Amino acid sequence: MSALDEHAESLEVVPVRHPGRIAAGVAMLVLVVMFLHTLISRIPDPQTGQPIWRFRWNIIGQYLFSPIILRALLLTIELTVVAMVIGIILGVVIAVMRISHSRLLSMPAAAYTWFFRGTPVYVQILFWFAAGTLYPTLTFGVPFLHITFFTFHVNHLTAIEAGIVALSLNEGAYMAEIARAGLISVDEGQMEAALSVGMTRVQTLRHIVLPQAMRVIIPPTGNEAISMLKTTSLLSTIGVYELAGTAANISAQNFENVALLETISIWYLVVTTVMSIGQFYVERRFARGSSRATPETPWQRLRSDIRGVRARWKLIPQGLTR
Amino acid sequence: MSDVMVQSINLAKSFGSNEVLRNINMEVHRGEVTCLIGPSGSGKSTFLRCINHLEKYDRGELLVDGVRVGFDLRNGKLYERTTSEIAKDRSDIGMVFQRFNLFPHLTALANVTIGPIKVRGMSPSDAKQRARDLLERVGLGAKADAYPSQLSGGQQQRVAIARALAMDPKLMLFDEPTSALDPELVGEVLDVMKDLARSGMTMIVVTHEMGFAREVATSAYFMDQGIIYESGDPKEILVRPQSERLQSFLSKVL
Repeated sequence: MSALDEHAESLEVVPVRHPGRIAAGVAMLVLVVMFLHTLISRIPDPQTGQPIWRFRWNIIGQYLFSPIILRALLLTIELTVVAMVIGIILGVVIAVMRISHSRLLSMPAAAYTWFFRGTPVYVQILFWFAAGTLYPTLTFGVPFLHITFFTFHVNHLTAIEAGIVALSLNEGAYMAEIARAGLISVDEGQMEAALSVGMTRVQTLRHIVLPQAMRVIIPPTGNEAISMLKTTSLLSTIGVYELAGTAANISAQNFENVALLETISIWYLVVTTVMSIGQFYVERRFARGSSRATPETPWQRLRSDIRGVRARWKLIPQGLTR
Repeated sequence: MSDVMVQSINLAKSFGSNEVLRNINMEVHRGEVTCLIGPSGSGKSTFLRCINHLEKYDRGELLVDGVRVGFDLRNGKLYERTTSEIAKDRSDIGMVFQRFNLFPHLTALANVTIGPIKVRGMSPSDAKQRARDLLERVGLGAKADAYPSQLSGGQQQRVAIARALAMDPKLMLFDEPTSALDPELVGEVLDVMKDLARSGMTMIVVTHEMGFAREVATSAYFMDQGIIYESGDPKEILVRPQSERLQSFLSKVL
């Protein structure tokens, strides 16, 4: 070590300043404060001139936990769960068909994705609601032998059932692409190694390929589920009283459109937040073995942030945070 | 029981118009260690993969332990074996890959137990006990709960060997097992393989480790462009090669 290096260790280090960053930060802070002020400000009522909450907080408070809205929330969640579960199962089946060596399997799978991704989900919802005119009944049995197991009356489908059919068939097409991306992301060597141990193709898929594909499949699936939560609002157009339908129904009576839209938006945000947290933990579970360190949970991150801040203020020696 | 473990007669294989194997003739006896050497692209790995039917051969005959690979001869016709029959055939042949191919979502122990549990139907507790013994044997008893990403290349390859041994194979295939390793990690894998050879395991090893071939192998085959140019006792052909091709190959690798 030269004399110069020894000297350098005892010198104070001055970090580079970022004046532009500070100016932009201050401007943003002002905008945020202005926006927050609008949230708590009052404006004159168009009819009476009396000051009322700009955001109609009183109306929101009246409806947020009302039984009718909570029932609609429950229905929204049920629709989301059912449509996603059917969509995921359909998607995995179609993805496996798609990568099959048999063209008789891969072509219909490709056609399915092409059709259901190529038409608007809104149109599909209206279509399934009216599909009874096309296929009045669907009968499960042995073709050509007049043996039937059960008959499904499409023309008797309720709005909710038609909505679930529409949403899950549509979701199946998107999930198929997601599942396919996951399956082909797994290294071919994994398949070979599993086969060389003597596993069958089905065992290989089930125990080796799918668990690894999950790591790639889960993040976009979480997005799909969150997107599905909001797409259920389209079912209001066929008379399903989920959140959006219920809000429209109430505001048709009291003309508080904006307040009810705010009410249901709060619920959509709450459910989305809960789902995102769930997604984080599921991802963590399937990340096992993929990286040397699993990602920190928000709590762990908060703790290490606090440690970092304390270290910065020299409450604990810097070295301990490394 | 015949003494011959693997017999290849005029075996040929093409990928499209590219002939990777042309008339490969080879006989591997029980308990022998056979090394396949040659430049990359010479067909060594393809031949190895034909033995456990990861690759289909086009012409010729290939028998493992007296049974034709991938086909049954009945009434003068060759019937392709079903995928489950092929899976069963494969379960008796261990394979170790250049890139290890450990299952990254499973611990070292689970990598070793999954075959016996899923394929052989062994009880998880028996499989674990055996897997611990095998990991001990390859020197990794302490790493049973580690995931592959937490292990060095040499350790991963030793787990891969334990995974193959867990199926109690009658034959072990090694596809360049040390080519993806840092030089200082090659030794630990070769040591495990030497140990295995000494225990009487029948092994076919595609390798560039001439020292290993000379020291451990009972026979060596030199392949280039899908043809076996020279074969015999490795102490003989690797020291005094007859063909010009092997002479020039050895002058490059040694």
